[in-house]
Amino acid sequence: MSVICPVCKKVKKNPVDCARHMFGTGDKPHKAWFEAQGLSFIDLLLDQATQPGNKSYELVGGYIEKAQKDIK
Amino acid sequence: MEKKLLRFSVNEVPYEIYINPKTLLVEAIRDHVGLTGTKRGCETVSCGVCTVMVNGMAVKGCSILAMQVDGMSVTTVEGLEKNGKLDPIQTAFLDEGAFQCGFCTSGMLMMAKAFLNETPKPKDEMEIRRGMEGNLCRCTGYNSIIRSIAAVASGKYREDK
Amino acid sequence: MSENKYAVLNTRVHNVDGYAKVTGRSTYTFDVKLPNMLYGKILRSPHPHAKILKIDYSEALKLPGVLTVATGKEDTLGVRQGIWRRYKDLCDEAILTVDKVRYIGEPVAAVAAVSEEIAEKALDLINVDYEVLPFVDDPMEAIKKEAPVIHEGFERNVNVTRQIAWGDVEDEMETADYIREDWFKLGGQHHMCMETRAAVASYTPDGKLTVWTSTQSAYYHQALLAGVLGLREGNIRVIAPYVGGGFGGKFELDGAQFCASILSMKCCKPVKVVFTREEDFIASKRRTPMYYYVRTGVKKDGTFCAREAKVFTNGGAYTGMGATALYLTGFFHSFPYRWKAYRYDGYRVYTNSLPSTSMRGFGAPQAMFCSEQQIDWIASDLGLDPIEMRRKNGHYEGYEVPGQATIASCGLDQCLTKIQEWVKSKGKLPKNRSIGISAAGFMSGGIFNWFDSPYSFSSAVVTINYDGTVELHVGAQEIGQGSSTTLALICAEALGVKLEDIKVHMGDTDHSPADLGAWGSRQTLMAGNATKMAAEDAKRQLLEFANAKLGFNIIYDLDIRQGWVYNVARPERGMSYYDLCKEALRGKEGQRIIGRGFYTPRRKGMISPAYSYMVQGLDVEIDPETGHIKIHESVTAHDCGQPINTLGLIGQLEGAASMAIGFGYYEYLPVEDGKVMNPNLVDYKLIRAPEMPDCHVIEIDTYEPEGPYGAKEAGEGLTNPHAAALGNAIFHGTGLQMKEAPIRAEAIAKAWKEKQEKGTEKKKK
Repeated sequence: MSVICPVCKKVKKNPVDCARHMFGTGDKPHKAWFEAQGLSFIDLLLDQATQPGNKSYELVGGYIEKAQKDIK
Repeated sequence: MEKKLLRFSVNEVPYEIYINPKTLLVEAIRDHVGLTGTKRGCETVSCGVCTVMVNGMAVKGCSILAMQVDGMSVTTVEGLEKNGKLDPIQTAFLDEGAFQCGFCTSGMLMMAKAFLNETPKPKDEMEIRRGMEGNLCRCTGYNSIIRSIAAVASGKYREDK
Repeated sequence: MSENKYAVLNTRVHNVDGYAKVTGRSTYTFDVKLPNMLYGKILRSPHPHAKILKIDYSEALKLPGVLTVATGKEDTLGVRQGIWRRYKDLCDEAILTVDKVRYIGEPVAAVAAVSEEIAEKALDLINVDYEVLPFVDDPMEAIKKEAPVIHEGFERNVNVTRQIAWGDVEDEMETADYIREDWFKLGGQHHMCMETRAAVASYTPDGKLTVWTSTQSAYYHQALLAGVLGLREGNIRVIAPYVGGGFGGKFELDGAQFCASILSMKCCKPVKVVFTREEDFIASKRRTPMYYYVRTGVKKDGTFCAREAKVFTNGGAYTGMGATALYLTGFFHSFPYRWKAYRYDGYRVYTNSLPSTSMRGFGAPQAMFCSEQQIDWIASDLGLDPIEMRRKNGHYEGYEVPGQATIASCGLDQCLTKIQEWVKSKGKLPKNRSIGISAAGFMSGGIFNWFDSPYSFSSAVVTINYDGTVELHVGAQEIGQGSSTTLALICAEALGVKLEDIKVHMGDTDHSPADLGAWGSRQTLMAGNATKMAAEDAKRQLLEFANAKLGFNIIYDLDIRQGWVYNVARPERGMSYYDLCKEALRGKEGQRIIGRGFYTPRRKGMISPAYSYMVQGLDVEIDPETGHIKIHESVTAHDCGQPINTLGLIGQLEGAASMAIGFGYYEYLPVEDGKVMNPNLVDYKLIRAPEMPDCHVIEIDTYEPEGPYGAKEAGEGLTNPHAAALGNAIFHGTGLQMKEAPIRAEAIAKAWKEKQEKGTEKKKK
């Protein structure tokens, strides 16, 4: 299901792809969104880089999905 | 500990030195006889840079006490040349560029010389490689050293040629 | 280049240091002995992380033969230094630490005594009260919110971050037909120089300090010591006698140099500090261990679309050169291919273990292990030829790596062809034998000046004596790589004299021009350019006298070759260079002709003025049940532009191979709870003569416009591909994908066993 990035409004194919995008830009506004959800950008990034499997992307994807209803 | 007298010859020169019996052969050569060509690179008899010859046999200078060579004949790298004329193995090393930083070179030369004395006609390259197994080199990857030894073994540096 | 084009370049000559090195006459810092000299020993922290509360050395001072003890708090300025001098926050290491220790082995106090034995005994008499702190020795632990803070001001212990990016990775990934992602773990490696770290420092009552040390850059150490000792650079003389290896570990300030200097300044006598092999393992710096996540998207025909990499490196306790390794690994992870989009995010994390720094390859062996193996796996997944896939995407002359570099010379395509021919020639291999290949390349010196040097990167002075002999003064440091011979060859070629006419002077800051030194594969190109410029300057001055004397028609020009000054159009007409030198000296009022040269790269992109290229092939026998491997053959197709020093080149390539194979298979350096588990040569495995394969090198002919006579680096680039080539051989032979370097025998055996069990399970189902 396609989703919209809660920060920059880019359309992404699915929540995991959107999470990938948010980690990828890594800029201040995107990082700030992580903080606002109570997530630690650096902890999740480290997990993503060091543990096989995309657990971080999937976790963040879940938050992105939930955020869709609030995006105007 | 009371010092003891050690009488031995180094490169055909007789020496008498008073040393602490704990002194390793490599320490006696470097610090008491004053020949610094022989080096030291580890504390575990692993690297071979301290290789010298004792009565013609290759020995790691850190693996024996100096007192153990009392009455014996030690050859170090300084003893390879004769009045400025290089030993064939030294010339071969020059021709093949078989050294880079040079820290392992003295030990390599002594090991190579002892190997060739024992095995003047190695049956193949692997026999040379096994003969040099005890000597580490971090710079050359060994192959140029093996080529030098093989060149000497092949007779390339024979005087009568 | 045809062999006849040059008089001396690319000929087999004796190394200029050869006679000294094969006769035991080469003296190293290890051998330096001065009158009235003391011996220094260092007391080291047993804890990975602790506060120093009190140091009581009163008992040590009572021991007969002990002259002085020094501590960071009492005897140093407490300056936190680092080699990234432009970035003060990365200058984080006070070598004789003042308040806190951050790794096991960190210097805490230093003793000077009349013998090594007494100095060692004195260490046992020093009492240190520590407040032991919790420690972390892995980035995964160090980055946690609750992790102990290793350096104040660095949140989450993140020391440095770097990004290298071009294009839009997400957009380009959309265009990919196939995407693959993998996770890798790269181990450290130790430089293991045959000569351990060593220094002799002599401070005299006139306020001058002389330091003999095993170094890759006498100038760097002069400047670094000035910074921490509060002395003027000009009052410090650094002398590098022969140096027993460096490999990237000897151009930062280390405990030997610093402690010897501090002790000498305290008692005004020469002090010698030589690390034992164990000390060298635990208390110098090592290759940077890394975690790599790589995601790559390609089209089904093998065209590369995009790649993204996220990397966390284990920085250890201090920054050192680790910041550069973080940058270079990210760049060389894209090398040597064209990516429409690329993004690398690197994080260097402090941990309580020995600091990580540069080591031959500088982050590229790690990068290549991941990139080149994944490329083979992608080729296999898509049923494509791995060599043709590389060829399709490879760099070429004129290519611009967006925002990073312009490739001015590139032999990659020819290298691929040569290796392809070799693979074909091998035919069908016996059972348990397989071939793996890897491409690679490297920089020829960096364009960066984070050291903040005010000097040209390289300088040279050529002085011609009455008898035609030549004094070549350079700052470029000979550490075994052959730079003195290489520069002498360039000087001989440019000036037109014989190699034996040249004497090379380097390694003494009182007599050598400043030079950034031997690291980053910079000296052949940079010091070579400076040398060529100086020699040509001297030649031009000399030829003024020749023109006057010979009086040829103005249409003719002169040159010099092998000691013969000649009319270029009519080479048989001319005069002896040696006669000319005598006349020129008289013409200059008895003054010798002096030529000057220098080089600093400008507007050459973000990394380097020039890049070498190579493709490495390994023929490997693998016993998957034991994991034991034997390399039967190594073949390298290699592009270094113009080879200069033939024997030196062969030696450097064979040496690089031995170190690279070490990174890929032998040299396991486990650190547990901050402790190096194998700090000796019994347990740390180096490759030995029987295991080393024969190495065949095929030189590819290219011309690098930025390099002297077209030359670029050789000897470091080749440290980059072997680990990946070995991994690829294992993959093609067994199907196993080994994602951890070094690829340990146990890991191969374990993976093979799991594969067999999976296969049995499948059969049962």
